[in-house]
Parts: sequence; C-alpha cells; structure tokens
Amino acid sequence: MSTESRTVGTGTAAPAIVRQRTPERAGPGAAATAAHAVGDASDRGARIVAVVIALAWHLAIGLPALLGSWSRLAAPPVVAAGWLVTAAVGVAAGVRLLRGGLPPARLLAVALLVVDGVVFAAAGERQLFTTANWVWGGLAWFFLLVLWRRPLSWLLALLAAHATIALAAVVLHGATAPADLSRYAMYVYGTSSLPVAVFAGAAAIAALARDRAATAAAALAVAAERDAAERARRDRQARLALVSGTAEEVLAALASGEADPADPAVRRRAVLAAARLRRLIAESDDVPDPLLHELRAAADLAERNGLPIELVAVGAPPELPVEVRRRLADPATAALAGARGWARLTVVAGPDEVVVSLVTPDHDGPDATGPPGGDGDGSVEHLHERDGEIRWTQTRWRRT
Amino acid sequence: MDADAVAEDVTGGPPVGVAIVDDHPVVIDGVRAWLAGEPRLRVLATGDDPDVVLRDAPEAEVVLLDLRLHGRMVLDRLAELSAAGRRVVVYSEHTDPETMLAALDAGAVAFLAKHEGREHCVATVLAAASDRPYVPPALAGAIVGDARPDRPALSDKEREALLLWFQSMSKASVARRMRISEHTVKQYVDRARIKYTRAGRPAATKAALLARAIEDGLVRPEDIGIYRSQASADRPTP
Repeated sequence: MSTESRTVGTGTAAPAIVRQRTPERAGPGAAATAAHAVGDASDRGARIVAVVIALAWHLAIGLPALLGSWSRLAAPPVVAAGWLVTAAVGVAAGVRLLRGGLPPARLLAVALLVVDGVVFAAAGERQLFTTANWVWGGLAWFFLLVLWRRPLSWLLALLAAHATIALAAVVLHGATAPADLSRYAMYVYGTSSLPVAVFAGAAAIAALARDRAATAAAALAVAAERDAAERARRDRQARLALVSGTAEEVLAALASGEADPADPAVRRRAVLAAARLRRLIAESDDVPDPLLHELRAAADLAERNGLPIELVAVGAPPELPVEVRRRLADPATAALAGARGWARLTVVAGPDEVVVSLVTPDHDGPDATGPPGGDGDGSVEHLHERDGEIRWTQTRWRRT
Repeated sequence: MDADAVAEDVTGGPPVGVAIVDDHPVVIDGVRAWLAGEPRLRVLATGDDPDVVLRDAPEAEVVLLDLRLHGRMVLDRLAELSAAGRRVVVYSEHTDPETMLAALDAGAVAFLAKHEGREHCVATVLAAASDRPYVPPALAGAIVGDARPDRPALSDKEREALLLWFQSMSKASVARRMRISEHTVKQYVDRARIKYTRAGRPAATKAALLARAIEDGLVRPEDIGIYRSQASADRPTP
C-alpha cells in the first residue's frame, strides 16, 4: 500500500533572480562602502581646487614672468621647455584626478624633479630669485596634484628634494652672501607652507567625512536592527498572550473539574496549547530570518486551524534570493494545508545548505500539492513521498 | 516515533538502577511513572542534588540529570560526574543545539529533550546502561547542524541518516527513503554519535561508549582517528 512519488526540480532555464536586500540585513561591509562613497564625494571638491590652483598659477603667474624676462634668462628655450613639460604633467594628473583616479605618483614626481633641476640651471644667476624662475613658487602645486591622496611624508620628501635642488643652484651660482641665503630660506618656507597646508587639510577633511558617514551608516543599521527586533518582540508577545490565554483556559477548566482529562477534545486543546508554547520558547533569534519567518507564519496559520505543529530550526540560514526562499518554503506550506493529526516542520541550515522538511501522518486523502513545476534553476530540490506511515515533503537548497 | 529495542543483553539480568536528579518534584514523579512501566529499570533514588542522590544510591548505573538545577546550568557538575565514570543522561528542556553539543562534550552519554516522551526516555536509559549510544531526534538535529570548525567529520551517509531521522522521527521511513534496512539506519546514526566521543575533553564515559562501539563492531579504531599513540591513553579496558 505504499505509494511513492519522487520528483526533483531540474529545469535548465535560469530565471532572473531578484536579490532582496532589506536594510536590516545589509551588513557592515555595505556601510563601509557607503562611507567610502561619501569620503570620495567630499574629496572631489578638494581635487578641483588643487587642479585649478596649480594650472592657474602656472598660466597667470609663471607664463607672464617667463615671457617678460625671456631675454634675461641664461637659456630661455630650456626654461620654456620645462614650463611646457610641467603643464603637460599638470594636465595629465588633473584629468586623472577629476575622473576619480590617482596619477602615477613616482613617474610624474621624477619628471617634475628633472624639470626642477634643469630650469634652475637654465635660469641663470641673475634670474635665480625672480618670478621668471617659475619653478621656485609654482612647482610645489604640481607636487600636490601628483601626490594626491598619498602619505603626507611623500610630499614632504619631494619638497625637501625641491629645496635641496634650489640650494645646490644657489651655491653653484655663487649666491652665498648672507642676504642670499636668508632669501633662500624665506623662499623655501613661503613656497612650501601653503601647498602642505592644502594637502594635509584635504586629506583630513576626506577622512573626517568618511568617518562621519561610516558612523551615520552604522547608526542606521543599528536602528533598523533594533526596529526589527522590537517588531519580532511585539509579535511574540502578542502570540504569547494568545497562547497563555488558551493554556490558562484549559488549565482552569481542568482544575475546576469542568473539563475531563479523558475527553479527547480536552486533550487536543491541551496538545495544541503545549505545542504553541514550545514553539514560542524555541524562538531564540532576535531578528527573525525571512525563511523562518515565512515558515512560522504558515505554522501559526495551520495551528489556528487546529493542527498541533512542531517547528524545529537548527542553524541560521544564509541570505537567500527571494526565488530560492520561495521554492524552499512553498511546498511545505502547501502540504500543511492537507495535513491531518499533527505536523513536524524542521529546518536545518548551514552556510551552503538549507533543508526544509514537513512530516505528517499519511492518510487516504489526495495530496495537497501536485508535483513541483519544472521552472527551477536546479539549486532547490523538491521531494514528496508517502509511505503509508507518513507524508514527507522535503526541499533542499545547495550552494552551487 | 519508534524507539529501538536496544537492550537485548540486559533482559536476563537484574534491573538497571536509575537515579533521577531534578529540582521539580512533578518531573521526578512523571519520569518515575514512565520508568515504572519498564521491568528492566528500577528507580533507586531521586532528589535535586546529584551528590546527595548518589550518596543514597551509589550503585545507580544511570543518572538522569536535569541540566538546569535551581536556576543554574550544571554543565560543570555533568563534567565531574562523567569524569568519575557516571553514565549521565541529560534530560532538559534547553534544546538549543549549542547546549546539546556542550552536554555531549562534557561527557553526557545521551541528551534527551523533555518533550521527547516515554519511549525515547526508556530506550535512552537502557542503552546508556550498557554504554551504547542512543540518539533521539532532537540530538540528531543538533549533530547534523553542528557548524563548529572542530566538529567530527561525518560521512555523507551518516549525515543523511541523521538528517532524515531528525526530520521524520521514524527509522522505518528513513530506511525506506534511503533504501537500506532499519538496522543500517541505526548504525549510521550511532556511528555519527560515537564520533562525538572524540570531541571535547576526555571523559571515562566517552571512553566506555567508544570501547563498547569498537567491541560491537560499530566502528573501527581507524574510522575515528584513534592511532596507536593515542590509543593507550584513550581506550579503557572494557
């Protein structure tokens, strides 16, 4: 008399799977990404400012001084070539920065230092401290572009190299009088301090924005989690009130002698109340997993129709696409509709496998569920069996 | 909902002495009533303190222990009793998998959920008396869901048998489903349980379970990673 039908969903068409991401389940990783995005956005403003300063300085101050003192320079074409190379480096770095990337720091820094040395040599002794020697004041702004978002120590090292080249030029050109040296010191200080301030300030602001955004995202996640937990708690309390009510009624009736423990109807009421209490006690998760939530809802419904049902869950299901969750839960909830006597609903979950099973006593009535449709993507297996003793519906998802 | 007839070799001898430790008299009375219907078992002493109960009945072969006494989880007492060679069957309403596995690690011979009923209770106590494993469905669920990194390695068949036993609570149905005999289903389930004697701290009770399983031919020493170097320390004289 044992009949058995065994069907396994093995369709090949893979329907588009919608991933559901509720806020309370978006992990700390998502919050960190969001914080990064905020940090990047605030960094963009600073990038624009840096690019504008460097190129404007180069065009509005460097170029007129170079052209105005052309004849007084020792080797004007060399100084001009340096100006052009620097402009090219600035444009390349600027484009990269404004597109959100970072320029190749080492390569461009070396190029700028070469230009630095060559222009100092080609400017000549008389133009050393004039604006025609445009590398003195203008080059530091390009260092800033080239080293954007790199450690501050890199910028300081580059500025130190810049100062050393200038000192070498000053000494080699013989400008070693005390007045020249103090002028040199003032130049070094004057041309370095502002770029360093801008660089450090931009880095600090970006870090601050990132921190603040991360804090805000974490606070939101905590709030969402708390809301969900609070909802679950209220749900549970409402059900507890309901269960306590029915349990109290049964107990009171038994105590007063109105109900007879030998009466099958009384026993059934007691069994129902006990099963419901046990399920409430077994719920240990603060924020219910969506799959368990669905199954619990189905169990509650079956129980309200008078079916004693046991729901046991082992392990925490991983985050599953809605489609997979539906295919895991639907056969069991459908089979519940045809269940008689009692039901045992179990979930065993691990990171790579989730198995849902519903077992009820077998009876002569027809199956509540037909064979599963063949529209699956093969990751959820569905088995339905009757062996004369029990009806057994099992769905199993395996990570593929 | 079948419980196996597991105590073939205690039928002839005197009944097995049982001590019940629980802090709720109603539970003690209930369990006593359950066991009274089984001629192979006799309750020797009851109470809410394991020391007192075992002073009254030092010859008790199996201790049924409520895991929560006077509001405190007594895993430490369980470990002491198991280390001293007492066969403890933990009997608890705390059926979360972590607690069950912790009880096995501490040396409990078996773990019985309070709602699992008379048949499982009698079968578990009888099996425990002869150092044989008995895995009620709730415990099977805990073992099959064990995700700890140092969990014992189970074979696919052992896992499947545990899973189906947990789901259906019917070894006959599991047997039909796996197309094997009920006896083989029980072997898979018990073998998985025996592998857990290697988890957690060593205890005399675990060694006894393991020794009996080897004697019965349920497992071979090499199946569960007992090598010569460890064998001398772990294997008691049966």
